[in-house]
Order: sequence, then C-alpha cells, then structure tokens
Amino acid sequence: MFFRNRLLLVISTLVSLLGLTTKPIFSQPTLKIGGIPDQYPEKLNRLYGLLSTELGEALNVSVRYVPVTNYPATVTAFRTGSIDLVWFGGLTGVQARMQRKGARIIAQRDIDAKFHSVFIANKSSNIPVIKNINELNVLKGRRFTFGSESSTSGRLMPQYYIQEAGLKISDFNGGMPGFSGSHDATIALVQSGSFEAGALNEQVWKDNLKTGRINYSRVKSIWRTPPYADYHWLAQPDLDTRFGKGFTKRLQSALLGMNNNSKSQAKILKLFGAKKFIPAKVTQYNEIERIGRQIGKIR
Amino acid sequence: MSIILELKNIYIEGNHRHRLKKINLSINAGDKVALLGSSGAGKSTLISVANGTLTPNRGIVALNGESLKLISGRKRQCVATLWQDLRLIEQLNVIQNINAGALGRHNYFWALANLLGDLEKDRCLECMNASGLNKEFLRTPVNQLSGGQRQRVALARMLRQEAELILADEPFSNLDPKLVNLMLRMLLVKNEYSSIYVPETILMSLHRPDLLKHFTRVIGIIKGEIVIDQTSKGLEPSDLEWLYNEE
Amino acid sequence: MALQRRMIRLRIATPLLTIIPGLALIPVCIGLIKGIHIGGIYIIFDFIKASISPSLETEVIVNSLKGIQVTISIAILSWLISTIIGVILGFATSNIFWSTFSGVSWIAIILRRLLSILRSIHELVWGLILQSLLGLNPLVAIIAIIIPYSALVSRVISDQLDALNHDALKALRNIGSGPLSALTTATTPQIFPVMTSYGGYRFECALRGATLLGVFGMGGIGTELQLTLQSLQFREMWTSLWILGATMLAAEKSIKYLRLHNHSIKQNKKGINLAYIFIVALLSICLKWILETKSDLFSSINLHQIDLPTIEGLNIALNSLNWLSLINSTLITTFLAAGIAIGTPPLLIMLMPSKRCLEIQSFFWAILRLIPPPLTALLLMMSTSPSIFVAAFALGLHNIGIMGRLLKESVESQKDNIFNAIHTVGAGERVSWLYGRLSAQSSSYLAYSAYRTDVLLRETSVVGVVGGVGLGWQLQESLSSFAWSEVYLIIFVFTILTMLGEAFNEQSRKIWLRSEDKQSSKFSVQT
Repeated sequence: MFFRNRLLLVISTLVSLLGLTTKPIFSQPTLKIGGIPDQYPEKLNRLYGLLSTELGEALNVSVRYVPVTNYPATVTAFRTGSIDLVWFGGLTGVQARMQRKGARIIAQRDIDAKFHSVFIANKSSNIPVIKNINELNVLKGRRFTFGSESSTSGRLMPQYYIQEAGLKISDFNGGMPGFSGSHDATIALVQSGSFEAGALNEQVWKDNLKTGRINYSRVKSIWRTPPYADYHWLAQPDLDTRFGKGFTKRLQSALLGMNNNSKSQAKILKLFGAKKFIPAKVTQYNEIERIGRQIGKIR
Repeated sequence: MSIILELKNIYIEGNHRHRLKKINLSINAGDKVALLGSSGAGKSTLISVANGTLTPNRGIVALNGESLKLISGRKRQCVATLWQDLRLIEQLNVIQNINAGALGRHNYFWALANLLGDLEKDRCLECMNASGLNKEFLRTPVNQLSGGQRQRVALARMLRQEAELILADEPFSNLDPKLVNLMLRMLLVKNEYSSIYVPETILMSLHRPDLLKHFTRVIGIIKGEIVIDQTSKGLEPSDLEWLYNEE
Repeated sequence: MALQRRMIRLRIATPLLTIIPGLALIPVCIGLIKGIHIGGIYIIFDFIKASISPSLETEVIVNSLKGIQVTISIAILSWLISTIIGVILGFATSNIFWSTFSGVSWIAIILRRLLSILRSIHELVWGLILQSLLGLNPLVAIIAIIIPYSALVSRVISDQLDALNHDALKALRNIGSGPLSALTTATTPQIFPVMTSYGGYRFECALRGATLLGVFGMGGIGTELQLTLQSLQFREMWTSLWILGATMLAAEKSIKYLRLHNHSIKQNKKGINLAYIFIVALLSICLKWILETKSDLFSSINLHQIDLPTIEGLNIALNSLNWLSLINSTLITTFLAAGIAIGTPPLLIMLMPSKRCLEIQSFFWAILRLIPPPLTALLLMMSTSPSIFVAAFALGLHNIGIMGRLLKESVESQKDNIFNAIHTVGAGERVSWLYGRLSAQSSSYLAYSAYRTDVLLRETSVVGVVGGVGLGWQLQESLSSFAWSEVYLIIFVFTILTMLGEAFNEQSRKIWLRSEDKQSSKFSVQT
C-alpha cells in the first residue's frame, strides 16, 4: 500500500538520495591541535584556525583544530590521544602530564612565566579596591564567580589567595561560588550584575578592555594577584613516531620562531596577547601542582 | 496390532485423594476409545497425562514404545490434542494458526516465515475445506471469528498436524449439531477426505452415551480409577448407569 | 478500640492526590525569589526576547543543521541497536524462555539483576565514563545510550512475556514444535503491539538523550546549545532550539500517526504519508553522517585505562566526602522536582480547562520538553544564587512538559459520558473536568508519576552538575579532579538509590494499578 502512491515513492527516493552524497575523507596523518575552552568559541575558532594554517605551512602536514567544550574533557582528550598538541593552563597541564606519561612541554608565551589573575567587581556592589591580600575578606557574603572549575587563572590561584586571606569559599553568598565556565563569561556575568565579583585571566581582561567590550560604568578591576606560571603547549610523546624523526623539535622551533615580521604570525600573536613564545620548564609548575593538591583538584 | 500409546501404572496425587490411581491402559492402532465418567472423575487429567502436559507422580507413559518424558519434541508430533479451550493464537489469522499444527515437522525459519506471510496455502485450504470453514476466512484474525468458526480452525489445525493419535477432551460440548455431525463423520466414521490423512486412532472423553456406537472401545473412570475397559459392543445400559451414579 | 473508631479517617481522593504534589512549587519559588537579583532578570528577559528573533545568519544555521544531523544520527543508531539488543535480552531474561527450553530459571534471575544495575545509571554518567575510556569519539554517545536503554527495553519485554497467557505456547510444544518455534509463534504476536508503542516512546527518549549528551560535550545540537548559552548568544541559541523543536515535534507526530496506522482504527492518510517521508528523511540524514564520519568512528578505538578502585582509595573517598548531605540534597531535589512536575499540569488544566487554553498549555509544555534541564539551570543560575531550588526548578520545568503531554493525551482519550453527566447536574466546567475526566485517569497518572520520580532521581545527576548541589555536582567535581575512587563510590551510591527507587515504584504501581486492566492503561507500558 505504501508503494502504490507513486508521488510518495518519488519523494522518498529524492529524500533518500540525500544519503548518497559523500565528502572526501582525509587519509594522511593529521596533526590535531586544540586548547582549553577558556574564551568564547568564536574567538577560539579564529585563533586556532589561523594557527592551524600557519603550522601546516611551516611543518608541511595537514593540521586540524578539534574543539572541546570543557576543561576536563580537554585533559581526557589529550590522554586518549584525540588531540596531539594542546594549549593547556597550569592546572590542566599538570593533570594532563600526570595522566599521559612522557608528554612534552613545548613552549609558553612571554607573559605566562609570570602570569596574573585579576579580581573584578560590579560597580553597584560597592566593593572597594583591594590593596593587599588580607583585604580579600570584603568578599565575604558576596555573590562570587570563578571561571571553569579546572581553570588555573580563573579558579585555582584565586581560590588559593582567598584561602590565604582566611576566607573559605563557603563564605560566599549562597554557600558556594558560581562557575561561569570561561573568562569571557565571567566578565559578562559580573558586568550584568548576576554576580557581584569574580576572578579571571588578566590577559583576557586586558584584551577585552582594548576591544571595548567592557562597560566601565558597570564593572571595574579591584585586585591583581601575585605572579604564578600558567599556560603552555603540551605535545603527545609519540609525535616523532607518527610524523617522522625530529618532528617535535621542528614543531617547537616553529612556535618559538613566531614573530611580528610575518603578517599571519603577527595576527596570531596578537590574538594570543603575546609578543612571542618562549621555552618552558617542568619545574615552573611545581607550585601549581602543590596548590592543586592542597585544594583537591589533583589527587 | 501395534500399541501406539501406553500408560503404565500411572498415579497422580491430588489434595485429598489420588486424581488418578493405578492407571494401566494400552491404545492400539485403529482403536476408537471413548472415555466416560462423571465430572471430576479424572477424564481430563488422564488426557493431560496422555499428551504429556501432566507428569505422573508414578508410572510411565510410552509413545510407540518410548517413554514420553525422554522423547524429543519432534516425535511428539504424532499425538494431536483437541483442547477444550481450543488454545488458538488469538492475534494470528486462520492460515497461521492452521500452519501452527505443522510446526513439529519444520524448522525455525519456517516458523518465522509463517508469521510473515501465507505458507503452504493449498494444504491449509484443504484442511479448512474438510472442517467446513469457508475459504474467505483464510486471512481473518482468529479473534474476530465466532465460537463455531474457531472450533473449525482448531479442527483444521489438528488435521494439518497429520498425527497418528488424536486425544480429545469433550470436543462436542457447546457445539451446534451440524458441527457435531461433521466432527463425528471425520473422526469416527471411515471416510475418504481426498488427500487429507485423518488419524484412525482416537481417545476421546465425552458425555454422550448416544454416540458410543461409533467407538470400538469404552473406558470408564470412577474416582480416578479405571473400572470399565471393554469393547463398546458389549456395553450394557446398566453399566453406564452404575458408572455415572457411583460416587 | 472505640477510640480508633472515633478517629476521623481522612481519605484523600486520588484526583486531588495528583494536584497536591504541586505544593512543592511553594518552597521552590520562595527559594528562587529569595536569591534573585535584578541584573539576572534582565538576562532572562533577553533570553525570552531572543526567542522571537533567532539569528538567521548562514553560518549559524549551517552549524545548527550540522548539529542536528549528528544528534539525529546518534539517536537513530543507539535506538536501533538498543531495541534489538533489548528484545533479545528481554527473551533471555524472561522466565518463560528458560522454562520452555530447559526448565532452569536462575540464569534469568542473575541476568535481570545485572541489567537492573545497568539500568539505574543515567546515560549521561555512562557517557562521562566512556569519554574517559574512548576520548572524543561519537561512539561514546551511542554506546552511552545503548547500555541503559537495552536494559530498559529488556525489562519491559520480559515482564510482558511472563504476564502472557501461556496456554497456546504449551499447546504448540505439545504437538512437537521446537522450543524456539513455539516461543516465537505463540508470544511474538501477543507482545507486538506493546513493543511498537514502547519502541516509539524509546525513540523520543533517545532523541532527548542524544541532545543532553551533546550539552556535555559529546557532539550534536546539544553542544551548540551549550556553547551559545555560555557565551550568552541567545539569538543563536534560539536558532538551534527552533530547529531542535521542529525535529522533535515532527518525530512525536510521526510516531503517533504510525501507531494509529498499526491499529487501523482512525487512519489519517495524509499524516501517515508525511510520517513515512519524515522517517525516510531521518534515515538518510543518518546514513549520510555515517558515511562521512566512518573513519573517525573506528580510528581511535583504543581503550585507555582508568585506575581501578583500590580499597585504600575507596576508604579515603568514603571519609572525605560528606555523604549524608550529598544524598540528602539529591533526594530533596528529586522530590521537589517531582512535586512540581506531577502537580502542576493537573492544576493548570483544572484552572483553565477550555480547549483553547489546553492548546496553549500544550505549546508551552512542548517548549519545556525541548530545553534540556542543564541549560535551564544554567540560565537560572545567571539570575539567582545557585541552590537546590535552581536544580529542582530546572528539572521540574522540563518534566512538566513530559507529564503535561501525557496527562492531556490520556484525558482526551477519556470518554465524554461522565463529564457530561456531571456537567448536566449543573457543576461548573472546572469541577466537571475534575470529576469527569481526571478522576478516571488519576490512578494511572499517579502510577506513572511514581515511575517518573524514579527517572528524576537519575536525572539529578544531570542538573546537579550545574546547580551545584547533590551527588551530580560532586560527580562532576570528582571527574574533573580525576579522582576515580570518588567517582566509583558516587556511582555506587547513585545506583543503590535508583534501585531503591525502582522497588518503591513497583510497590506504588501495584497499589495504583490494582483495579486497572493491564491492557487499557496507557501508562503501564512505559517502564
């Protein structure tokens, strides 16, 4: 009875033809890059898109950006080999290295060796500017948000300093802090008044100031933390096996060699908010690991 | 004469007394056996033991010399039962139910095919014809048929099975006279039904003394024990009275 | 003795019992309002405003279409496979299967216990675990849905099989039919209608489940929704929501038409044809996706180990978390959400029973069904302090959509005679509805509510993640700290809670469905 209706048959055939067209599939080994989703997806898409093209040319392989939706998934993706080269924060980098033995630290930005977080507050909350760490307890009883739970600049270090000042995170309004998920979201939420104050990545804050996304009448920065080591590039231990001997070294040179002379590289560095990439050492992250264990994010 | 079914020393326990006691019975090929007794005497129980539905507490049931318990499913195919509640599959149609009678002879894929379409239509039509069921009902779901029509489907299924022995538990109750006649002619009177093989051996429980003349043998049960086992010719009306009044 | 007789025994009529749980709305609303702040209200307004002006940019629409393709494909594949496995397991765990073959049924019992454990873990939790094993692979979402769904289907089928009248089966065995042939011939026709209606329901669940898994990063339109919500791009979020809504609505309608087609009572020819076209479209979308991603699917299947639990680790986990308060907040969230979901639809219908109001309410319920609870919770969290009430409200809202539709369909199928009788006595529209339509269906509704509460318990693992409360929240925290011992323990506790819930559900079903015929009640199937 179904096929007696010819019109139905024709339509069905047309519709099922949809299923027959296919895309060509990549068959050569692809270098998959990615990073923790600490900013809005459009920004990340642009940033990693440009970087993929640049690295692809420099290394003569096909490079693809693999987006991930949250911090822990990025660590898992690194562990399972779903992504080859990842831009991690301090904490997630430590977690990733613990789960994937032999992972290689490739590079960091010039600003990452001594990185800072900023605390921001909504102007109508009347939270004063903080001059030293002990004054952090003005945040008691306030609605406060971090970035992602696994963020170094958006949660780990701010929480560490808060606890050093004698405050507990259960002292916030509601007994808990909020978790916005990304630095951009923290700005939006504090600016709108959903939260009275928050902590985020200083570079993202400065970047948003420059691009005019910040409404001065609504939000201001109230404190800058002491320095710590943060973002860096982490690569899979087996890249040389898959892409040829010396590949990891070439990758490192490509990153370290980026400068403002080339137009494309200048764009990338600008999006990263840095002047160049520099080498990074494992020992830089010892303090991060210690604090991570103390707070419970590393077991 | 070969013995088709043999019940040896069967005991079935009940709540207060035995439902069947010391049953010894041999059914030979060609026997037409009538099973008589008052209600609750144990007729249905005996039929259930004979077709393997009930396992006796003591004693052996042998089919063609082999113990019923040990027999493979396929060999059971030679015993057909006409159940009182018919036991048709309500959601299936007539031809599927008739074919179900032949499941013992075929494999699983045949069984699947039966669920999906018409299988061996001609054979089924023959069985339907023999049962007096109009062929327009071939694809009618059984739950849409009347009581009499369902009875005919059960009959057709039995014919389809091509068994050696028929067991029937009061098959004539609740039937219109026309259907009773048809069943009588088919089961008990020697008849040529074109290509359909009608089993010649039958064990039937019934409450119709007027039909006894069609049977070769009569078995009477009182309180679970066989008290009469003889040819139907030699049966006196007084024997019947005693059978039904003894309590 | 005399004292007992004198005590007034209060018996609450079942129709009222359906509305009383709505009282949960009171503490929840109070809690929400207490935590609310003006800045947040603007965000909610922005969200609602964006619903009528979704973004129509090409890139956004293309992204949403790609997303829905992935979600549809995941839903279809996981539904197909889980239904097939579920049927096989259903037979294998039914008593009648084993007694037909060999007479031992302890195998069925063991299998059933095992499956009930698999069933009590939400597909999201499976997804998060599988993600740790398989990485970023679309198979993760598919397998994560297959595991609990197969167990659910198997339970329904084995229950149905064992509840059948087995006389026909015994008769077939008797005449020498092989065991498998007899089983198939005698049982399949009888359980076929149940299988098709439950199968349709399972597909809707699969679609919703695939969307939810997407919210947690496993691809598809759920991921689009979560990303756009987090960056506060409401207009783009609504583009995806409308596309998702259209898909879910078309799926629901198609399933309804096809179900009627099988019963051949009321046939809507046009509707059935449209349904077929829709199904073919879905299948071709799925096929296209498979062809495009087949290399990705199987290239990275290497199982990575996660640490197995050690006694020491479990001990530490046992002591380091505040279990009592976690379990407490989980249960409170469940009951508050259940109260909202169960009580609100009958209350609303009773207050506004006219046909037009019913249509409007239907529309709102469809929207509530559409938005996954974590997203509602996220949205609420931007406007009020995180608390139990946020989680309960988000879960409750979503489930109002489900319970509401169920209630509406069952009440509409209720015959008019009682309603008319009460109406002619002079009772108002509302009272007539209460007596004439709700009363007869209230027992089934309550039975289904008990089942839904059990599902809600499982779903708290989903919102807790964003609501900051309960075991669900702790699960996410522990997963992001990669504290496996804690994860195992949390899942274990969840499983125990859910199994207790299932047992409780059984008992209440026996009470509510005592007088109902198993066939006539719409709700009895959906276990």
